[in-house]
Amino acid sequence: MQLKHRLVLPLALVLSAVMLYPVAFSFWISLHDYRLTRLDDVRWVGFENYKFIATDPGFLNAMGNTITFVIGAVTLELILGLGLAILLQRLVRFQNFIRSTLLAPMFITPIAVGLMFRFLLNSELGVISHYLGEIGITVDWFGPQLALFSIILIDVWQWTPFMVLMFLAGLESLPKSPFEAARIDGASAWLTFRCVTLPMLRPVITVAIIIRALDAFKVFEYVFAITRGGPGDATETIMYYIYQAGFRFFRMGEAAAAAFMLIAVILVLVIALVKATKSSTAGRNNV
Amino acid sequence: MFSFSSRSARIAAFFAIAVALLIVLFPFVWVFLESIKPASFGGKPDVWLFPPTSDNWNNVLLQSDVPANILNSFVVAFSTVAIALLVGCPAAYAFSRFRGYQGARYSILAAEMMPPAILILPFFLVLYHLQMIDSLAGVIAAHLSFVVPVVTWFLIGFFDEVPRDLENQAMVDGYTRFQAFYKVILPAVRPGIGAAGVFGFVLSWNDLFYALLLTGGESRTLPVAIAGYWTFRGVDMGKMAVAILIAVIPVLILSFFIQKHLVRGIGGGAVKY
Amino acid sequence: MSYVSLQSITKKFGDVEILKGVDLEIEHHQFTVLLGPSGCGKSTTLRLVAGLEPVSGGKIFIDERDVTDLEPRERDIAMVFQNYALYPTMTVEQNMSFGLKAQNMPASDIRTAVHNAAELLGITPLLARKPGELSGGQQQRVAIGRAIVRQPKLFLFDEPLSNLDAKLRVETRSEILSLHQRLGATTIYVTHDQEEAMTMADKIVIMNQGQIEQQGTPEDVFFRPVSRMVAGFIGSPVMNFFNGVGTANGAIETQVGTFEGFPQIRAGQKVEVGVRPDDLIPAEKGETTITGKVLLSELLGVRAIIHLKTQHGLAFKAVVDHEIYRDMKSADEASFTVRDGRLHVFDSESGKRI
Repeated sequence: MQLKHRLVLPLALVLSAVMLYPVAFSFWISLHDYRLTRLDDVRWVGFENYKFIATDPGFLNAMGNTITFVIGAVTLELILGLGLAILLQRLVRFQNFIRSTLLAPMFITPIAVGLMFRFLLNSELGVISHYLGEIGITVDWFGPQLALFSIILIDVWQWTPFMVLMFLAGLESLPKSPFEAARIDGASAWLTFRCVTLPMLRPVITVAIIIRALDAFKVFEYVFAITRGGPGDATETIMYYIYQAGFRFFRMGEAAAAAFMLIAVILVLVIALVKATKSSTAGRNNV
Repeated sequence: MFSFSSRSARIAAFFAIAVALLIVLFPFVWVFLESIKPASFGGKPDVWLFPPTSDNWNNVLLQSDVPANILNSFVVAFSTVAIALLVGCPAAYAFSRFRGYQGARYSILAAEMMPPAILILPFFLVLYHLQMIDSLAGVIAAHLSFVVPVVTWFLIGFFDEVPRDLENQAMVDGYTRFQAFYKVILPAVRPGIGAAGVFGFVLSWNDLFYALLLTGGESRTLPVAIAGYWTFRGVDMGKMAVAILIAVIPVLILSFFIQKHLVRGIGGGAVKY
Repeated sequence: MSYVSLQSITKKFGDVEILKGVDLEIEHHQFTVLLGPSGCGKSTTLRLVAGLEPVSGGKIFIDERDVTDLEPRERDIAMVFQNYALYPTMTVEQNMSFGLKAQNMPASDIRTAVHNAAELLGITPLLARKPGELSGGQQQRVAIGRAIVRQPKLFLFDEPLSNLDAKLRVETRSEILSLHQRLGATTIYVTHDQEEAMTMADKIVIMNQGQIEQQGTPEDVFFRPVSRMVAGFIGSPVMNFFNGVGTANGAIETQVGTFEGFPQIRAGQKVEVGVRPDDLIPAEKGETTITGKVLLSELLGVRAIIHLKTQHGLAFKAVVDHEIYRDMKSADEASFTVRDGRLHVFDSESGKRI
C-alpha cells in the first residue's frame, strides 16, 4: 500500500468505528419502531418515524426554540464580540491580562456555567435577582416569558469570547496601509469601520458565524442544568427533545429520526450561509 | 490606556471594558466566595463578609467521590487525546501534503460538526449489548467521535504552514519520506500538536452529554458529578461550588498556554489571517 | 555518456503536459543554468532530477547510473531551495549535519566536515544558532553550506537568490561562482533572471513551454539566438523587431528600410528582423538607416536609452554613449545604422533563425 494511504489508515479505522458505523446504525434505527423497553420486538416502519416527527408539535416547538436560540445567541455574540475585539485591539496597556480574562468563559464546562447562572439568577437565592429587587426590579428569569432569553444570555456569556478571539486575530492580521490611506483621506472612524474594516473582516466573520451556529444547535447543558425544557416546553431544544425521546421515553426510533431531521436543518442553513457569502470569501479561502 | 484620539472615546472604551471584565469575573468570584461560605450563611445572597471556612473543600476532597471523578475525567481526556494525536498526526500530514485528499479534508470538517444526538443512540445500544455502560472505555470511544476530527482538523492547518521544501530537503539529504515526516516535520509542528492536544483535552474534560448517558456510579466523570449536586431534593451550593472550581481551574490554566495557537487551529487552514 | 543525462523526459500533471520531451547533457564540473519565463518547466525539470517528482516518461542518468526510479536519497545530490528550507527546530550545526547523519558517518567526521564547510563560508560564529535568529543572507549561506558539506555528485539550486535584496544578490552570486570554481562541483541552477544566467553559466539552457529552446554558452544565446523567442527573452533592453518580406535578390524589405545580403531568403517569405538596441549606431551619410522621432531618453550613466518612433509608428529603442545622448535628447529625429553582422532574421511562421 502507498505511504499516503498507510498514513491515513489508522484515522479511517477509528472514524469508521466511532462515526460511520454509529451514523449508519442510527439511520437503521430511525427506520424502525425501536424501543429500549421492547428490544425483542423491533419492527421495520420505513419512514413512519420521520412522518410522525415532522408533524409532532413537540418536535416543531423544539425546532422553533432552537432556531430562535441560535439566531438570538449568535447575533448578540457577533455584535458584542466585534465591539470587544475592536476595543481590545486599541488597548495599549494590560492587553494580555485583559484579553486572557475576557476569553476565560469559553473554556469552562457548560454544565458549570449553567449551574452558576441558575443560582445567580434564582429568584429567591440569587445575588443578581436580590440586588435587582433592592432597586425595585423583579425579573422572573426562568419564567415562561424570559426563560429562553435567559438561556440565550448565558450562551452569550460563555461564547462571546470565541467571537472576540476570532475577530481579534482577524483584526491584527489586517494590513495597515488601507487604514492609513483612510486616515489621509479624512474618513471618520465609523466610515473607516464600515467601509474598510468590515469588508476585510468578512471571511473571518463568516467562518466564526458558521462555527458558532453549528455549535449552538447542539445546546443541551444549560437546558439540562436549569430548566429541563420548562416551564412547560418553553426552553425545550432539539437536543433536549432527542434526549427525552430516547432516554426518558425510550423511543429510540423517533429520537434517531429527529436527529437526522436536525442534520437536514443544519445542512440547509450552512449551505445558505456559505452561498450568501461565497463571493466575498472566495478570494481568501486557500482550500 | 486606549489609543483613541478623542478623550470621550477613551472614557467610553474604558467603561465598556470595565463592565465586560466585571460581567466575566463576577460569577467566578461569587463561586469562590460560595465555596468558602459557612453553611449557616447559606441562602443569604447579600452577605459578603463572613468567617471563611474550609469545610466544603475538606468535605469534597476528602469525603466525596469527587477525587475519583477527577481521576475518571483525567483518564478519559488523556486517553482520548493520546489516541487522537496518534491517528490524527499521520493522517493530517497526508491530507496536507498529498494530492487527492481535498474531499477527505472536508469530511473531517463535516465529522467535526456531527451532532452528538445522532451518535449517542448507537453508542448507548452497542455498549449496552456489550454490557459496557458504566465503563470508561465506552466514554473514551464516544469522545473519540468529536476529539479525533477536531484534533485532525487543527493539525491539518498546522501542517499546511510548514513549507513543503522542508521534507524535500530531508529527502534530498538522504531520508525516506516517512523519516522526513517524523524527524523534520513533526518537530516543526510541535507547538501545534501541543495546542491541538490541549484543546482536545479540554473538549473531552468538559463533555457532559455522552458522559451523562454512558457512565454511572463508579465511572462518573466530573461534569456528571457536578450536575449531580443539584437534584430535585435540593442543592448543596457550597460543595457544588468547590466541584465547579476543581473542574474549571485546570482548564483555565491550560487554555492560557494555547490561546495564541487556537485561532489558527480552529480555522484549520480554511481562514488565512 | 555525459556526467548528467536527461533523455526524452516528459512530465504530466493530470492532462497537463508540463515537459514535452527534454534532452539534456551536462558535463562533469559544468555550471548549467536553466533559464526561462515562469511556467516554462525549468523548476519541474530540476525537481525531476532531484527525484521529488516521478517522471512520466524518459530516463535520467547521473554519473552513468540510471536514477530514474530512485528515491531522492539514493541519488547522491544536494539541493538549495528558494526559501532555504532550513529545519526550524535544529541549530545551524545540526542542519548542516543532518544529511551526513543519514549516511551514518561517524560523529567526529561529521563535526570536522561541518566546521570546514562553515569556515569556507564564514558562518562558524552562527553554528549554535537557530534559523529563526538568522538574516536572509545568513540563512542562504547555511543552506549552501548544508549542500557542500555532503560533497554530492550534483548540486541543484532552485532560484536561490530570489529572496535576497539586490545588493546581497550580486554578492552571493559571485560567492556561489567562486565556490563553484574552487570545488568544481557539477551544478544545475534554475533562475528566471537572465543577468544571473549570463554571468554564472558555463552553459545556458533556455526553456519555453516545456521544451528546450536553445542550449549553449552565454555568448551563443546572446549573439546567435536560434529563435525569435530566445532573441526576445535574452538581452536588456529588449531586442527591436520589424516585420519584413523577402525579395528575389536576397534582400529584405521592411518599413524601416531594405537590408541586403541574405541569399537563403525566398521571395515573398515573411520574416522578422531583429536588432539589439546596443547594435544601433548613429548613421553616417549614405548608409541604410533606421530613422525615428525621438520620444524619450533615459540616461543610465555612461550609456543612455533613446526611445524612438518611425514615421510608420513603429516603436524602437537604441542604446548610445552619453556624448551622443546629449546631442540626441534635444534633437527631433535621429538616424541609425546596424552594426555589421548584428542583424538577426527569423521566419515569421516558425520563429526559427534564418
